[in-house]
Amino acid sequence: MKLFQHLGIDFDPGVTEYEEAGRFLPLTQVKTQADSSAVLANISAMLHLQHDPESLAAVRFCVSELLRNVLEHANSPDGAFVAAHRFTDKEPHRVTIAVADCGQGIAAHLARAHPEVGAADALAIRMAMRPGITGAQSTTYGTPDNAGAGLYITRSIAKGTGGYFFLYSGKAAYRLRRARSQDDMMELFPDPYQDKRGDRWLFPAPWLGTVCSVEIRTETIAHYENLVEWVFKQVPSRKSDARRIKFT
Amino acid sequence: MTATVIIEAMNGFAEDKDQAKLIRTSVILPTLSRSEAVVLDFKEIQYATQSFVHALIGEALQRYGERALELVEFKHCSEAVRSAVELVVDYSLGGFVESHGA
Repeated sequence: MKLFQHLGIDFDPGVTEYEEAGRFLPLTQVKTQADSSAVLANISAMLHLQHDPESLAAVRFCVSELLRNVLEHANSPDGAFVAAHRFTDKEPHRVTIAVADCGQGIAAHLARAHPEVGAADALAIRMAMRPGITGAQSTTYGTPDNAGAGLYITRSIAKGTGGYFFLYSGKAAYRLRRARSQDDMMELFPDPYQDKRGDRWLFPAPWLGTVCSVEIRTETIAHYENLVEWVFKQVPSRKSDARRIKFT
Repeated sequence: MTATVIIEAMNGFAEDKDQAKLIRTSVILPTLSRSEAVVLDFKEIQYATQSFVHALIGEALQRYGERALELVEFKHCSEAVRSAVELVVDYSLGGFVESHGA
């Protein structure tokens, strides 16, 4: 995965390195939107998803949202590091994605608009996973550039496919376990702590930044459009049939 | 006069918020400020992130409310793009519903 290469450590693990194409996206540094777009363009070939456009769309959505979060909110001089792995040898067929940064962390970011967060990492990651929470302002309408819904939608896509979701920032971590049943997959919670499949920890050693990992169960995605439409309709926004959007 | 913008993205996947912001600030907001119409043509796009659509139209909706919907036309939207537009319109005009328990 090129970890030691990025760390600048000359290390020979003494094992044969797999050819990456078709299996995994090695650890890749992303510092700009152009870097992010390049990762999204290459991920199809790297994970051999060109023949599975439905899964490819879900993977691209999650990678895009997670990388953009880092570029916009983390204040990380090193940007983000992303890696992904596609598992097809045995079930469940899936893609796992991890994005990490060593930036300011979620609590420091949210505390600007939500002073009640302070340095409370557990409260911060809980708020960050709920829709409509941004570090830029305290209202529930978002800013011109952010709605604060990205982590909620990413978590929901993972859950809607039956996969897991993991978030770690400061001393607090949250994990949404894989769904055990169709019913599990179909129940989304705006507040992650209300989800029975969720676990949370306070670790003595903090991660100085943020780590997010997502599992997409590709075998469960028949139609990405149906999945994302379902996820979007679950977002707890005030809907009105009276609004007439001109689709032509 | 109507301004038409054809949204473009690599692989038909619209996610570049910088691009969305540029369209918003250079075309959408100035056009709406003159009470003129904007056509956003998604014929090159199959999928869009919610973040992209938010960066594209969220500010127009918050600034002009329902009036923005009268002036903005969404052309050639796939089902996925349409879902993203509907979501952004809903929360931009109505807000998110607060979930309790925090």
